[in-house]
Amino acid sequence: MIPLLEVSALTKRYGGLLACNDFALSVMPGSLHALIGPNGAGKSTAIGLLSGEIVPDLGHIRLDGADITKIAMPARVKQGLTRSFQITSVLPHFTALENVAIVAQIRAGHSFRCWGDARRDRDLTDPARAMLDRVGLGARAMTRAEDLAHGEQRQLELAMALMTGARMLLLDEPMAGLGQTESQDMTALLAALKGSVTILLVEHDMDAVEALADRVSVMVAGHVIAEGSFAEMRADPAVRAAYLGEAA
Amino acid sequence: MANLGRKRIMLALLAMLLTGLPYLADRLAMPDLVSLGTQIAIYAIAAIGLDLLIGYTGLSSFGHAGFFGLGGYVVGILAFHAAEGTAFVGLVPGATEAWVAWPAAILVSALAALAIGALSLRTSGVSFIMITLAFAQMLFYLFVSLKTYGGDDGLGFRRRNGLPWINPRDDVAFYYVCLLVLMIVLALCHRLVRSRFGLVLLGIKQNERRMAAIGLDATRYKLAAFTLAGAIAGLAGALQANLLRFVSPDMLHWTTSGDFMVMVVLGGVGSLVGPVFGAAAMVLLQSWLAQWTEHWMIVMGPVLVAVILLTRRGIWGALGGRG
Repeated sequence: MIPLLEVSALTKRYGGLLACNDFALSVMPGSLHALIGPNGAGKSTAIGLLSGEIVPDLGHIRLDGADITKIAMPARVKQGLTRSFQITSVLPHFTALENVAIVAQIRAGHSFRCWGDARRDRDLTDPARAMLDRVGLGARAMTRAEDLAHGEQRQLELAMALMTGARMLLLDEPMAGLGQTESQDMTALLAALKGSVTILLVEHDMDAVEALADRVSVMVAGHVIAEGSFAEMRADPAVRAAYLGEAA
Repeated sequence: MANLGRKRIMLALLAMLLTGLPYLADRLAMPDLVSLGTQIAIYAIAAIGLDLLIGYTGLSSFGHAGFFGLGGYVVGILAFHAAEGTAFVGLVPGATEAWVAWPAAILVSALAALAIGALSLRTSGVSFIMITLAFAQMLFYLFVSLKTYGGDDGLGFRRRNGLPWINPRDDVAFYYVCLLVLMIVLALCHRLVRSRFGLVLLGIKQNERRMAAIGLDATRYKLAAFTLAGAIAGLAGALQANLLRFVSPDMLHWTTSGDFMVMVVLGGVGSLVGPVFGAAAMVLLQSWLAQWTEHWMIVMGPVLVAVILLTRRGIWGALGGRG
């Protein structure tokens, strides 16, 4: 079995800072792979590189065997690679339903159709409703995104990412800013998704990582220093040193 | 929902007022009202096009007058060559018929917008404002330097473009032509912003990065919107040339771009109907205040500030309309 996402020797330098240094990662199809590391390790840069928002200096990214290193973000989405954002990013003036329906619209192909009321197009709203139900937002379909609670916005963000038809999801801290019960809800939601879509999860919430991850990669200073199960990583002296750092 | 009813009533009142304007002008013995009404309709058309960019796509173009003036000059230059019996660059014969000159104005403005947009849309924010301004100024100086077509002094022509069944000397008939074009543009844009294309534009305005992350190549859609707005401005420019039977570089001046922006903001950004009110307010205030002082902007400025500060969405927002 070949990895769905395979990254080799990925490097990105900002002036004197090596945000990503010979970064390598393989995510097997159907798995939930967590990428953890202390603040400033370069995890968000890695997500930016993988999603196509940032252009790497060196290295290769392969999706299902095909080299996508040079492909722009919108085209990567069409090939099944979608990211979510650490800071909630939705379309604030659209309702939850419109936020998801516009993803269905873009997935359906070009959007140069200038006639007909797109908000009443059931080819778009029906799948969008089903997706909102799936993430538990069905009852909030007609609420404007900016009026949703923070936790609900995170759910909406996930619904949008899923609606692209992604095979490979890059989730950048989906638990960020969530309270304890909301985190547990999000963990349950991701657990339910496991298997149906391959996920690379960047997360600081170790309870969630422990509950969800099949494999864990630990990133320090732009480089993956260790990889294995959550238990192995917890026991790894290098990982402990990186996390506890000066304190140890 | 009460808002919706109020909005319908306001729209119906506006339509009645505009339709009955020539009758009103006659009864009040104020014949100038017809030409003022025509000017309002023409500016409104151009401002609606600009609202597609500012209010629906989030693109603050400061070069709208460039396309407005270009459309005007297409009409003027075609009329000039028709009168001289010559051809533009020795190839394109002159024309005086509206069905030739107006589509030509739309096409030329659209092509110019396509080219300028393709370059300008590589930037965003303040750079985009400045680069669209720069392109419009380039067009301005181009026409200033074209001595064949009057240069600084502009270019006059004798007759309006011919339309079937309509006497070109009849000002009231021309007013209704402009009003009809305004209604058509408004109706088409109303449909457009609710379509799939329109929703994509609204999405780009709200969060372009998010749109890219769900698979949208935003540049193509922004360019399409920019081209469409340019085409609409070109049509308005063609009508403007017909109203005055005169075109001059003033049409392309950056202050004209500023006027269009003011109309959009004054009337209500992102509402399509708002710019009609904005154009009306601008034209009426200008004509009224200009009787007292040539420095009418001294009054216009504070009015604009007051409207922006006191209403959330311009005149149309204050009248109870939204979206």
